[in-house]
Amino acid sequence: MNTPRAQTFVVTGLGAVSAWGWSRADLWRGLLSGRTAIGPLDRFPAEEQRTRLAAQAPEPPAGLAAGISDWNALSQAERFAVVAALEAVRQAGLPPTPHSPDAEAALPPHRTGVFFGGSTAGMFETEETIRALLAGESGTPITPLTSQPLDNPTGAVARRLGAAGPVVTVSSACASGTQAVGLALDALRAGEVDVAVAGGADSLCRLTYAGFNALRVVDADACRPFREGRQGMSLGEGAGVLIIESLERALARGATILGTCLGVGNSCDAHHMTAPRADGLGAALATERALEDAGVTAAEVAFLNAHGTGTPLNDASEWRGFARALGPRAAEIPLTATKASVGHLLGASGALEAVASLLCLDGRVIHPTPGDGTVDPETPAHLVRGDALAIEQPGVAVSTSFGFGGANAAAVFGPAREVAGVGRAAVGEEVA
Amino acid sequence: MSRTAVITGLGTVGPAGAGREALWQALEDGAARTTELGPLGPLAGGTNDRSPWLTLRPEVRWAGVVDPACLGSWLGAREARRMSRPSRFAVAAARMALEDAHDPSAGADGGWSVDSDDLGVILSTTFGPTAVTEELLEQILLAGPETASPFLFAESVANAPAAQVARLIGARGANLTVTQRDAGPLIAVRKAVAEIRTGRSERMFAGAVDEATAFLQALLDRLGVAARGSGGAPPVARPFDRARNGTVLAEGATVLLIEEERAARARGGPILGRIIAGGEAFDPTADRCRWGTGHALLGRALADILSRAGLAPSDIDLVVSGASGSREGDRMEALTLRTAWTAAGSGSLLPPVLAPRAVLGELGGGHLAAAVALLGAVPEGRTLARPAGFQDADPDLGVEPFGGPLPTGGEGPFRILVQTVSAGGPASWLVLETPEVAA
Repeated sequence: MNTPRAQTFVVTGLGAVSAWGWSRADLWRGLLSGRTAIGPLDRFPAEEQRTRLAAQAPEPPAGLAAGISDWNALSQAERFAVVAALEAVRQAGLPPTPHSPDAEAALPPHRTGVFFGGSTAGMFETEETIRALLAGESGTPITPLTSQPLDNPTGAVARRLGAAGPVVTVSSACASGTQAVGLALDALRAGEVDVAVAGGADSLCRLTYAGFNALRVVDADACRPFREGRQGMSLGEGAGVLIIESLERALARGATILGTCLGVGNSCDAHHMTAPRADGLGAALATERALEDAGVTAAEVAFLNAHGTGTPLNDASEWRGFARALGPRAAEIPLTATKASVGHLLGASGALEAVASLLCLDGRVIHPTPGDGTVDPETPAHLVRGDALAIEQPGVAVSTSFGFGGANAAAVFGPAREVAGVGRAAVGEEVA
Repeated sequence: MSRTAVITGLGTVGPAGAGREALWQALEDGAARTTELGPLGPLAGGTNDRSPWLTLRPEVRWAGVVDPACLGSWLGAREARRMSRPSRFAVAAARMALEDAHDPSAGADGGWSVDSDDLGVILSTTFGPTAVTEELLEQILLAGPETASPFLFAESVANAPAAQVARLIGARGANLTVTQRDAGPLIAVRKAVAEIRTGRSERMFAGAVDEATAFLQALLDRLGVAARGSGGAPPVARPFDRARNGTVLAEGATVLLIEEERAARARGGPILGRIIAGGEAFDPTADRCRWGTGHALLGRALADILSRAGLAPSDIDLVVSGASGSREGDRMEALTLRTAWTAAGSGSLLPPVLAPRAVLGELGGGHLAAAVALLGAVPEGRTLARPAGFQDADPDLGVEPFGGPLPTGGEGPFRILVQTVSAGGPASWLVLETPEVAA
């Protein structure tokens, strides 16, 4: 056992937008269904591409937009971010405005930080505008171009919550969301914030859709991580948000503890701009560093929420990384891959998969990985398939994220029931 | 035992050229280096004459651009062909920082290996690799998505420069790219310091990189952010001036090598300065692309950051401000400082405030590079020019850009506060000090 941290940081709120819907309840139902939300893409034309599928967020439910004053001025990614953040702060029992009459319960503006990951921000809206400019359409408004800076979803959340503490956006490709959780944890440990809003948001756009097609790393059908004969990834969109604070603060204000945020590790392959190291060294380093940061050992890992894109190279590299970091136990630890259900959310994937991992810990079941076929003998994972798998032994969840340029990150989350007698009491209690 | 972070290397690439001396020349003569952009000139923006920048019809076509020839010592032609311009800037600046940190007396490798599991990279970028993104979008939108170039896609991601630095230098530590607009460079340094203080890394590259493109320039012009010259003259940024009318876009990279102090001293590395404090705050009254009115809130945050570090405003000898000639932005820069100093008591006067973006332009972390270069220049007593465009101080701000002999401070270390208050709400600060009193 590594040296435990002096202070425990807990998760008290979760929010999610995904192809399953605009709430964490939608996400959890979808994940437990064992089906995939990956389906036909209609956001923009894709006729000439290898695939025409994506996990596209549905239209928002009636009334949702009306509750957000500047909805029409927000990009898709900003909408995902704001909706998920508002859901998370509501669950945490923190009024989403600093002007709440109940000042004790409100988010403390100076002590609230927002840490977000993302990779495209308003690219979809930018593309529409540039298309119009290239077509010479007169009177094309340029305002949508202002949605492009990658910090816009973060800023939209901070403004909505009245946060005045550190606001930091990280854009390290597909590792961004997990790195954002790490930055939040660092800020909490350093005493710079009392409440951290950590997450990520990304929307589908032509640039990433065409780009991954050009790299020939997409599957024509829905992705099938760790399956034999897998062909590649499927893109998705949405947001995931966690509210993290100290155990002491959460207990003092009577918040419900959903889980713990124990540690994050980073590494870089330093190898290639798009391909992972075949030997999995980078993935192993990130996983080992996360476990060390969390103060836990491989023996304490209850399940893995793998990056699991479904590309032949990524899954193989990731598996070798797990084998290096976790030893012989790697093949025994149940493994799930959220992307098979909601697609690859790119810069937001780590954040949404953190939400999924915490929902699993809270619900004491591991959601299944949709897809047909046998497990690839080259990646002999204990893949959770078919039905959700009950978590029999207490332990932690490890969630991994690996991005272009070899940016790797892993996060470790623990169950609430291991935090000094607090948290949810009933096994299988409805979490949403 | 606490771990202190020190700066041991500085690499800088910008419109003034590559390296510390080029930077100093610009700061000493006070004149910005700008270039007129055109369809056939620098930064034409993509390869297609339908490039969207032309459709924006910019009135201002000037920016501070990097002369590619200045990268030649740091980057081979074959390497450069496989990189976007921001990646080239970042790799050149990182290699420069490594050489700067090298102790020749310690042997061929400077006493330490740079191919390391505990060497990390945290860079900041405001817009990322913009030119390749523009070119890729032109391919997708004009010729069809099936024509998209895999190379352009791989280099279009914001973290491509940080990844290229790691790949070419062999840095397997944390690799993050911060995208928090102008506030990003100081945040990147702070996060690198956190990596070192927590023991997760022994040394980190940290800094900023950005490129200027014609499309970006045209967009800033249409948004009313770009400075305008009179009678066709090149625009001039006039930080804190009554007549300031906007910023001058520039590009480049600033990369610091930051190390744990004892390890750096043990290998005999040069200590350029210590990073002793810093922090971030956000003005939620700002909208997506403008500044807000929350200077009181930001000033209080700055006062708290100094206080937590055991510093009073009177401990600061010089401020390096991110003021760049923007009417709203410079106001926020000035009022934030005044709020923090006022909070400390009526007897606390603002120290000299330097505004190097007048000379170095808007992007690429130039003001961070200037602050680090200044630390090394304190004992030399060099003289800084007041920005060439400065005429009359804005009486509403109570701050004017410094020019003259560099102040030497009093007893003890010389301390520089670096500040950036960005459009969109984020603000960041760093406090650097000269290494004389280091243990």
